[in-house]
Amino acid sequence: MAELELSGVSKTYGAFNALKDVSLEIGDGEFAVFVGPSGCGKSTLLRLIAGLDPVSEGQIAIGGKDVTSRQAGQRPIAMVFQNYALYPHMSVYDNIAFPLQMERRPKDEIRAEVAKAAQIVQLSTRLQDKPSKLSGGQRQRVAIARAIVRKPGIFLMDEPLSNLDAALRMEMRSELTQLHRRLGSTMVYVTHDQLEAMTMADRIVVLNGGKVEQVGPPMELYHNPANLFVAGFIGSPPMNFLAGTVRSAEGATVSVEAARIGVVTLPFSGEHLYAGDSVTLGIRPEALELGAGRQVQFSVVPEAVERLGLHTIVHAGEEGRPFTALFNGDPKLRAGEAINVSVDGASVKVFDADGILRSRRAEV
Amino acid sequence: MPSRSATAGPFNRSWGAYAFLAPALLILFLSLLLPAIATIGMSFTDISFLRPTNWVGLDNYFRLMADGRFQQAIGNTMYYTLGVTFPTMALGLLAAVALNRKFPFRIVFRTIFYLPVLTSLIAAAVVWVYLYEPYSGPVNGLFVSLGLGPQPWLSSPNLAMTALIIMAVWRDFGTAMIIYLAGLQDIPEEIYEAARLDGASKFSILWRITVPMLGSVTFYLMIILIVQSFQVFGAIYVMTGGGPLGSTETIVFQMYQTAFGYTEFGYSAAMSTVLFFVILLFSLVGTKIMRRGEG
Ligand SMILES: Nc1ncnc2c1ncn2[C@@H]1O[C@H](COP(=O)(O)OP(=O)(O)O)[C@@H](O)[C@H]1O
Ligand SMILES: [Mg+2]
Repeated sequence: MAELELSGVSKTYGAFNALKDVSLEIGDGEFAVFVGPSGCGKSTLLRLIAGLDPVSEGQIAIGGKDVTSRQAGQRPIAMVFQNYALYPHMSVYDNIAFPLQMERRPKDEIRAEVAKAAQIVQLSTRLQDKPSKLSGGQRQRVAIARAIVRKPGIFLMDEPLSNLDAALRMEMRSELTQLHRRLGSTMVYVTHDQLEAMTMADRIVVLNGGKVEQVGPPMELYHNPANLFVAGFIGSPPMNFLAGTVRSAEGATVSVEAARIGVVTLPFSGEHLYAGDSVTLGIRPEALELGAGRQVQFSVVPEAVERLGLHTIVHAGEEGRPFTALFNGDPKLRAGEAINVSVDGASVKVFDADGILRSRRAEV
Repeated sequence: MPSRSATAGPFNRSWGAYAFLAPALLILFLSLLLPAIATIGMSFTDISFLRPTNWVGLDNYFRLMADGRFQQAIGNTMYYTLGVTFPTMALGLLAAVALNRKFPFRIVFRTIFYLPVLTSLIAAAVVWVYLYEPYSGPVNGLFVSLGLGPQPWLSSPNLAMTALIIMAVWRDFGTAMIIYLAGLQDIPEEIYEAARLDGASKFSILWRITVPMLGSVTFYLMIILIVQSFQVFGAIYVMTGGGPLGSTETIVFQMYQTAFGYTEFGYSAAMSTVLFFVILLFSLVGTKIMRRGEG
């Protein structure tokens, strides 16, 4: 059964459509990540689920019950805010205890619940401190503990790590994943960072301009991005795009002529593609190899080479269009010296004139 | 050249600063410090401008301690101060919370509530004398229409001070509202949202979140109102003249009477000195506690 079900949810602010007809199902115990560029409506969607703002249209059901008209406090959810939203005048203990105090639970029960939650987030020794005495990471943990004590059906988290430094963010990422495993509850996590989405999600919901672009597990989105937007958003460095024209589309292969790489024959059935169609080819930087070992071969002139030890990133943009390649290890490359690269035909994505992926790969 | 300016710079700069401050300091000295010192000096004399002045030491202060009228004035002032300060803060807070939300005409309401602060005290006092008029005044009109008997507002020793307090609250709660509104702006919206999600009712949010987070604002306001109420004079002068039966005589009003009515300037100066140090004490304690709260 779907724990969270959105049907035809829209939100307008005056004449502005912040969310357009969003329908989604998130399963019980799932870790779902809403990802998309800033301003695409992620927070708005989360606030609608929380009940902080009313929907303009559509229904929201939690655990099979329609909660569309229920107030914020009356939905089985807890939320962790980007800026923590701790109560600054209360001790850590009171911050965590607050939701239970609002339920008028007995004092000793509250004490036990707070102690348990504090132990999970490793703050047992800081219960008497005010939030202002804690570091950013510790404040985030208080916010998480405050969510835990409510025993919500769904945890909502709005960019909870964006105020932390890079090292702490990495640590908290794995802690949140562990917390999810331990509590087994449904989580809806919002981020603009595709790396967070890829590493944490069971399923990713890609949002853009208030619309759902694609929903799927991280590797599905990586290998079969439904359209150009998802292809460009998921993966880092981002996918390279080359404009091309279909030469022929027959049987199990499609032949495309594209900038930089000339005519290539790609191994997939070209339904919906016809000779003369404009297409966009997508090649992931990490799919490229040095040398002529693969089927599709061309040469590029690096304008900058970034050596990271584990791998090397080559920038070789042309005519204002970026192009990057990512090679394993530390090959001896120099800016300005042309190199030959090649890629498997099966790794080249083909998007039609509307930006829709036409070269689906079955096996993922 | 650079070496010279390096040594002379700081001195020149502070000298310049003092030069710019001098006019203001001079005015402050002449208008505040000098009269204050003169008052303290006068409090050790029996100066009255009608007969030769004698140095009387602490006699005025001993007399004050035994003066039943002065003790009554202290009692009246405390009653007035408490009666004004806390209702003003409570009403100001409620008005601020109500008007902090977005709704049509909210600016209009803010303006209406703030208007009494801007009216001239004397004009307002004259209007309130009319409002309190026992036979044709609107306040008694309202009382009668509610089935309560008419009250002799300003002419009853039991009611006159309360009547003054009501008017002072009406005048001052706009100030409290504005200060609370400023304080409310500093509470992030997210905190209210977190509280709503935590299942807090409107009342719990007010009592557990808003009020405690306005703590330092409340304290500041309390000190201001106390110090201001301690010095009440104008409304009493216009509306009751300290009566009936001295029931609205406050410290400052009595000072005025003692000095200009009985021409006992030395004795009045002693009262003034006592009041001055009480207010100074309040201000010092107030700022001390505020500083600690911020730290
Ligand atoms: N209360 C509001 N009034 C008007 N526009 C809003 C409001 N809240 C959000 N928006 C607009 O809706 C869009 C989505 O915002 P948001 O959900 O916060 O984006 P994000 O994906 O960065 O979290 C933005 O263009 C924003 O300007
Ligand atoms: Mg956001």
